[in-house]
This record gives sequence, C-alpha cells and structure tokens, in this order.
Amino acid sequence: MNKHLYLRAYLAGIALPTMFLLIGLTVFIVARFVYHVPAPIERLLVFPMALVPNLWGAWNMLYARLGAGRRLPLGIHGAVLFLLLAPVGLMLAKTLDILIVTSVLAFILTVSPIALIVYYLAWKHIVGFFNRLLNVA
Amino acid sequence: MNELNDEKLRELLRGAIAPVADTNLKHDLWPQMLRKLDEQTVRASWLDWALIALLPLWFVVFPEVIPALLYHL
Repeated sequence: MNKHLYLRAYLAGIALPTMFLLIGLTVFIVARFVYHVPAPIERLLVFPMALVPNLWGAWNMLYARLGAGRRLPLGIHGAVLFLLLAPVGLMLAKTLDILIVTSVLAFILTVSPIALIVYYLAWKHIVGFFNRLLNVA
Repeated sequence: MNELNDEKLRELLRGAIAPVADTNLKHDLWPQMLRKLDEQTVRASWLDWALIALLPLWFVVFPEVIPALLYHL
C-alpha cells in the first residue's frame, strides 16, 4: 500500500469529523424538527459540514507532505489547525448571524483552551490511529 | 450529434482508455484489515490522561463552550 499517499492522508484526516458530523447532524435535526428548537440549522452547518472535514483532510495531507524530519508531533500539528480554523469560524458565525459566543474575548478565554486540548487529543490518538492504519506516517 | 459521430466518439474513447485486465481480487482483504486493526494499540501518556480528565471539569464550569466547540469539530 505505497501508492496514493495524499489520498490516504486526506481520507485519514476527514474520517473523524465526517463521522462526528453524522452525529451532530442527527442531534440538530431531531432538536429542530422534533422538539422545534429555534436553531438556524442551515446556517450553522455551513462551517462544520463544508469546511472543517476538508481542512482536516488537507491538514493531514500537509502532515504527510512535510515528512519525518520537518513536521511537528501529530497532536501539536492538529492543535495548530484549530488556531487557523477559529478565526474563520468566528468570522463566518458573525457573517451568518449565529451566536456561538458572546464575545471574542470570551471565545479566547473559555473556548480556545479546551478546543486546543480536544484537537490535540483527537489528532494524536484518532487521526494518528487512521494514519497508522493507512500507512500514512 | 448524429449516429456516425457517436460511433466515432465511442471508437476514440475505446482507443484512449486501455482495457483493464484482471480486476478480480487475488484474495479476501478483510482478514488483513482485521490483523492490522489488532496490531494498533493506543498508548496515552499521563499528560493525555490529565487533559482528558480536564474536559468534563471544563464543561461543568463553562457549559456555554459546548456549542462553540461542536461548531469547530
């Protein structure tokens, strides 16, 4: 299994957010259409459905491309992705008028630390697992 | 496009794309995948366990972070 390294890296990268999206989508749909929670589901899903999985795949392709000598440990590499995603997510939330946090400062102080930890653990253990399984790294 | 052009196009396509020979699998790949899955072991360091323990605590103290976190996953 030595062919198509970048395709394998992309698939290993998108696996977790894609699986998670199914759960998230189910929760949102049940909340919205069964319990009539007034959540703007259509606007909410743009970022986690269209951008996040693809960026995880692309970020893992970059990890594969960097090679053993130049790349950071996988957990740190994944945590850095959150630092790139967060401003885009916040900007999109503001543009689409979705209230996910009360202020940017609240986001930096309360959401960022825990999101960095979740990204670190998810990349180190779960994306790392898929990478080993697909002989990416 | 008339029938003559269709036929020409078919011939061109046939000529351009080489026929794929022997597409059958040589053996069942699933046992190999299961072996590979068995080889994988998750080793978490003390730092990882500490971080995992921090997650529920954080969610209890700041429950408002949960939707924002889900939005970024």
